[in-house]
Amino acid sequence: MGTRLTFGLGVNVNESLDSLVKKSVAAEDVGLKYLWIGDSPAQLYAPVAASAIASRTSRIRIGLGLMSVLLHSPRHIAAAMSTLFEAYGDRFDLCIGVGDLRQLKRVGVRAEMIGSLPSRVLEAKHLVESNLTDLGARVKIWLGAQGPRMLAIGKAFTGVLLNYSNPEMIRWAISELAPHRKDMPTIGAYSPSYVHINPRLEVLQLAKLSSAVVALGAPAAVLKRFGLYEKLRHPQELADKHPTIETFLAEVPDEIVKHFSITMKAENLPSHLAELSGLGVRHIVFGYPQGFSVETVRELAHALNLAA
Amino acid sequence: MQRAVLDLGLTSRAPLGQIVRIASLAQRSSVHGVWIGEDLGWSSDVFIKAGVIAMNAPSKNVGIGITSPLVRNLSAISGAAATLSELAPARFRLGLGVGGLQDLARLEIPVGNPVALLSDSVDVLRRIWAGETLTIKGENFDLWQFAARYRLGSRVPIYLGVRGPKLLRLAGRIGDGVILSGPLGYLEKAMKIVRAQTNPSRSRVTTVVWVPTMIVRTRADWKLARSVAATVIGDTPPEVLEMADISMDGVAQVQRKTKEGNYAAASKLVTRRIVNNFTISGDVRKVVQDFRLLEKLGADEIVFGPPYGSSEIRSIQEVVREWERV
Repeated sequence: MGTRLTFGLGVNVNESLDSLVKKSVAAEDVGLKYLWIGDSPAQLYAPVAASAIASRTSRIRIGLGLMSVLLHSPRHIAAAMSTLFEAYGDRFDLCIGVGDLRQLKRVGVRAEMIGSLPSRVLEAKHLVESNLTDLGARVKIWLGAQGPRMLAIGKAFTGVLLNYSNPEMIRWAISELAPHRKDMPTIGAYSPSYVHINPRLEVLQLAKLSSAVVALGAPAAVLKRFGLYEKLRHPQELADKHPTIETFLAEVPDEIVKHFSITMKAENLPSHLAELSGLGVRHIVFGYPQGFSVETVRELAHALNLAA
Repeated sequence: MQRAVLDLGLTSRAPLGQIVRIASLAQRSSVHGVWIGEDLGWSSDVFIKAGVIAMNAPSKNVGIGITSPLVRNLSAISGAAATLSELAPARFRLGLGVGGLQDLARLEIPVGNPVALLSDSVDVLRRIWAGETLTIKGENFDLWQFAARYRLGSRVPIYLGVRGPKLLRLAGRIGDGVILSGPLGYLEKAMKIVRAQTNPSRSRVTTVVWVPTMIVRTRADWKLARSVAATVIGDTPPEVLEMADISMDGVAQVQRKTKEGNYAAASKLVTRRIVNNFTISGDVRKVVQDFRLLEKLGADEIVFGPPYGSSEIRSIQEVVREWERV
């Protein structure tokens, strides 16, 4: 199983650049293959963070994204990737998609004015790809997807990163993506995570917060299918009114942690990974708060050694 | 008279190798900093390249001169500037402007009201960096309960790259600095306009003058200087030409050809007088004399290059030596 899965760490671009670099170096040192750097309007600019991290590491592959094609033009996304490729060589992957519509609305990006979002993402993918080809940069492009409309275009991508980790949800997503398992892109799962040996309450709380961010940004179709729509209706209303989820986190049901994150004891990880691998998942990204500290990165490495 | 400092200039289309070479040279020399301008129509990320400069010239200032809020969501500019200010604490400067007229036309981006655009951009950026939660619905921006998750460790000065009188006045009122480019006659008037607006209660607006500069040693350098002058003329708004008070003989023909997109024909029409009006070109002594003239007019920072001339490293070393000597 260990040979069929590749593992990555998702780093939090809310932190200082120094702290990001330190944890990225730790991730490389413990043998993780990938780092994923998220992008959101309220955070540091991911391409510059990627450059700073690439300059201080040498082997680890760096994924940029999810980069929202509604926030950044395809020309700018291609420019960032080709500049990174030019500076540090063939070490980068890209994940594109729509992104968190609630966050985008805060900076004036209104999805309802855009028309078909899947068409927009596909068009952007072709533009980014052709720009990168013209510039001689080789970059693997993943689709960041959750709902059925985005999953329907997944086959056009080298890989699809699903923003949840629950086996039941992943099984459903794969059936939506390729009902007959033909031309299946590489499947990845990128979710908030806290795989722990000595659990810290503060980090467990952050795991819930990160899961809530994902859950409240999930498409209604996904929430309805998994019986979460009604349970999240009130928190959704609160999210429309409050600038940060922290202020109403208590209103979000705890079960979202199970659906949207990999939060468990280290000794339980092997069986979880075996189940995901059995479903066809090939790449797993342990998102924030797994990268909370160098220590939590090492706890993950320890757990993965158990799994190998 | 306040002494000016010398900077080096690059644009985002420059290959990474050249950027690293020039940043490393800047680090080893007495220059004050490095500016990098964004070529809007080119596939290259100006923020990543500014970061590469910051990492290769760790004791020098780094500035973006300029990027445009017309081509990026302001949240991306804000986040990128915050990231660069972490990479280069107290050394990073953000240049904002509308963008080159030809580039914007090629990208089919309408300019609208540039004074309101830049004024609102500066205000919103400063408020985001101050940690405010912003809700703004205006002509230029639509923010709803937006608050950045990062905090600036050091202040990011905003320099406005502007040309016409209204924008020059705006830069004098709200900018931490101004980036000017154009013929000498224009620069003199532009600096006066900026200074006239500066409120005595605010700190002085730093004036950066960035004119395409090159050392001409060979026939190929001369040919390049003519081609650069043609490009500059194509991008120069009529009010700048008017303020420059220069003979328009030949300039109108060059401008016509650049509007047709025929830059080869345009550069053939460029005379020595036109080159001297729109670029700083010549041997090392003449270039540094021109720089010192800009200093006398009130420039605080003078940017050398691009395109530097056929041997960029030699050109930079010789100009820096001559600058220190004179």
